[in-house]
Amino acid sequence: MQYLTNKTLPLAAAISGIIALSSSAYADSESQSLQSEVQMLRKEVAELRALIKEQSSAQEEVKNLRNEVKATSHAQSEWTNADSTFHLSGYAAAGYTDRKQSGGSAFNVASFNPIFNFLYRDIVLAEAELEVATAADGSTETKLEYGSIDIFLNDYATLVAGKFLSPLGHFRQNAHPAWINKFPSLPPGFGEDQAAPAAEVGLGVRGGYPFGQDMKMKYALYAGNGPELEVDAGEIHGIKSDGFARDVDRRKVLGGRVSLVPLPKFEIGLSGASGGVGLANEPDRSYRAIGTDIGYQWKNLDLRAEYISQKVGDQEASAAPLGGTWKAWYGQAAYRFLPSKWEGVLRYGKYESPRDSQRQKQWAVGVNYLWGPSVMAKLGYEFNRGLAGQEADANRWLLQLAYGF
Amino acid sequence: MLNKSFQFVRVAGSTLVLTIVLASAAHAETTDALQGDSGQSARGVKAWANNCASCHNLRPAKELRDDQWRVVVSHMRVRADLTGQEARDILKFLQENN
Ligand code: HEC
Repeated sequence: MQYLTNKTLPLAAAISGIIALSSSAYADSESQSLQSEVQMLRKEVAELRALIKEQSSAQEEVKNLRNEVKATSHAQSEWTNADSTFHLSGYAAAGYTDRKQSGGSAFNVASFNPIFNFLYRDIVLAEAELEVATAADGSTETKLEYGSIDIFLNDYATLVAGKFLSPLGHFRQNAHPAWINKFPSLPPGFGEDQAAPAAEVGLGVRGGYPFGQDMKMKYALYAGNGPELEVDAGEIHGIKSDGFARDVDRRKVLGGRVSLVPLPKFEIGLSGASGGVGLANEPDRSYRAIGTDIGYQWKNLDLRAEYISQKVGDQEASAAPLGGTWKAWYGQAAYRFLPSKWEGVLRYGKYESPRDSQRQKQWAVGVNYLWGPSVMAKLGYEFNRGLAGQEADANRWLLQLAYGF
Repeated sequence: MLNKSFQFVRVAGSTLVLTIVLASAAHAETTDALQGDSGQSARGVKAWANNCASCHNLRPAKELRDDQWRVVVSHMRVRADLTGQEARDILKFLQENN
């Protein structure tokens, strides 16, 4: 044992020395790897932090985008869904007339007609059109063409109150804007104070009712103050039907138009009105209007014809005792040469009046160039027959630019 | 004079009666308009083609924004004596194709 102890002692010392050395070397390398591991972890943590930061900023961005989309869609639907909304439209025209036999030539049309429409939900529409035009003498004429409040009572009836275009016939109500009328001038007898009533101040009900397969009935009934008379040197020279906010004859006019649409794009209308007309401080006299109109569109062809008459009764006690009938009719065909931008128009019209100087027969031929459905140039020639030496007898060239916006 | 007042009462009375009679057939149009239905667009194209070119050239859907069509179609509903249903169908078609 002694021997063993003596012999093994240095060995043990050597071994323990080796162990101690190797363990300290081991501890060194372990702390190194730990350190690098810590470093790696640190790096990873930093990366994770950056990632989290990135993600939360992306989330923030998504949130911002969401809010933006919401605001944009709100701004969009605000326009479409607002309870009260409006639209400004209208039309403008510029024209030149060359009258060979009398009157010479002039740039004689410069008009601007703004139309205002305000809609409250699907309940009420306020519609108004102003005409602002340059008169022959250079002054500016302003006129309320119509201004009414329309209440949609139900799917088949709308109440119209105020000043509205006369529903009698078709032309005065539906073809007066320059971009709609296919020819630069109005048909004979369809102008101011002539055979066709223009507007009315009063109250009306109108609408449409479908029946059968693709058939429809339309109606427009009204009660209004009615027209007044234009008197000169003991004779009635015209029926003023621009719409009056007074009723000098104190007898209302009741009237309307009923039409049938037996096939799509084909319409036949019947119009009639009756009541009183007169002059201030005179007993009133009878007034009646009768008319019929027909319209048909087939492919590029547009056909239209219309007859209208207004009759004023006699009144012995009047400054102009003799009444009379003012009547007019026209037939028109227009053809679009598609796909080109050209359109041709042919119109015949006749106006009869108790005043010889007003009578007129007319053939009108025109050609139109359309930049768009409501933007065009119209060139036309009128062959006119009237009382010799009168304006109504002179042929004319007409040129017009029209834009409905 | 008495005659004239009678005339006036008759006019006002008959207009009112007519209005009430027609109004009593009222339909819930606004809710209809909001909900719409699947055939509406197809009906709209047809009603647009049949009704919107009889007085003037057809104005294409692209001419106006949704909100403008809303007002214009109401304007034309009065002018052209469209039914409420025709007006809603046409509006839907125009708004979907502008
Ligand atoms: C009965 C005739 C008629 C029919 C049918 C008709 N319009 Fe019009 N339209 C007019 C008249 C007249 C105007 C000119 C404005 C005025 O005088 O009030 C007009 C004007 C317009 C305008 C110009 C903007 C405005 O409100 O003034 C647009 C757009 C229009 N119509 C679209 C249509 C559409 C869409 C339809 C079919 C639903 C239609 N129209 C059917 C007569 C008609």
